[in-house]
Amino acid sequence: MKTNFRKEDKDYKPEETNENKKLTKEEFEEFMIQSGAKGSFMIYRSDKKDDELGVEEL
Amino acid sequence: MIEKEIMLQNQMEQIVEKQHYVNYDEWIKNFSLNLEKIWEEPSARALEPSDTKTNDSAIVIGRGPSLKKNKHLELLADSSFKGKIICSDGILIKALQAGVTPDRFPDFYVITIDYAPTYRKFYHDPIIDSYGSKIKGIFSTIVDPEVVSRARDAGISIHWVHLLADLHLGIKSFNYITSKIIRAKKNNIGLPAIQSGGNVGTSAWFIAWMILKCKNICLIGINHGWDEDDDWKKIVTHNGDLPIDIDKNNPVAKKLFPKIYNPHFKNYCYLDPMFSLYSMCLKEFIIRSPEWVETVNCTEGGSIFGERITSEYFIDFLNEKDRKQ
Repeated sequence: MKTNFRKEDKDYKPEETNENKKLTKEEFEEFMIQSGAKGSFMIYRSDKKDDELGVEEL
Repeated sequence: MIEKEIMLQNQMEQIVEKQHYVNYDEWIKNFSLNLEKIWEEPSARALEPSDTKTNDSAIVIGRGPSLKKNKHLELLADSSFKGKIICSDGILIKALQAGVTPDRFPDFYVITIDYAPTYRKFYHDPIIDSYGSKIKGIFSTIVDPEVVSRARDAGISIHWVHLLADLHLGIKSFNYITSKIIRAKKNNIGLPAIQSGGNVGTSAWFIAWMILKCKNICLIGINHGWDEDDDWKKIVTHNGDLPIDIDKNNPVAKKLFPKIYNPHFKNYCYLDPMFSLYSMCLKEFIIRSPEWVETVNCTEGGSIFGERITSEYFIDFLNEKDRKQ
């Protein structure tokens, strides 16, 4: 099997099974604080969008 | 991605960033204690192949639940794959135990990006000592020195990278200052700086194309989600990492841990809040990666599918590689 993104499929089901119950910023923040979640590292963001994909030499 | 989702992703990233700065002093301490070795040991750039025409395929191994469920390590160990193996640190011991070793796959790498001292356990095993001298390690400059030291003692050759954190803040940023300190004794030659995407699996995907110049990158064990039949406690606690308990029937739980359908493999997985973010970011970066990068997800489940991601059964990927080699 080799597929690329969404293809027409009679068995296709929506990605989100609970569409009307989207997470909010507040709920995410409360979970992060209460759980003590740290993850591995932050996501890097910059006005220089190419830098977000890495810098050859810093 | 619709505007609301982009906004939520941005907000989630800002919250995670705030959490990470709690450990800023640890980054500084680790960097300082690593500095002599960073000056002595090579940059990860030294691993860049001189001939990009050969060995341009890599298999990135995460430690998602699909790995065990689908026996992917065993399949790989029995294959004649000739490309690069890039292990995330947390799966290295199990990979070696399953026969995915540098004796079978000589172009073998392991990645550690995190600052936490607990990661030493990923290198503290006799099997690491047995194979260490044949493994190339890529470590961020803020990894705990005890972790790097254990890997080094096992014979793993250490190569350094920066993790991008705050370079956008300019000359007062941690990234800028540490880069200047490193260059001061390296003939002004710097290190590559990678986007982590928040986790070692995404970092490994970045390293595969950005540093190792692989054009064809296969992912296994990169679920960024939990299996439908995983224990609820395992899902809620991120496999025991988080001291938290949330009732499955709590309405907020359904938002924090959405169940999603993978249309390619026709199975479901649960996200947790961290995997929601990691998944959104990795999918975004795959879309934004150079055109020559092909990402093939052979995890056979999980949340990584969509634009510019080819979904394929791992056995088919291995057989296809067999035919091409």
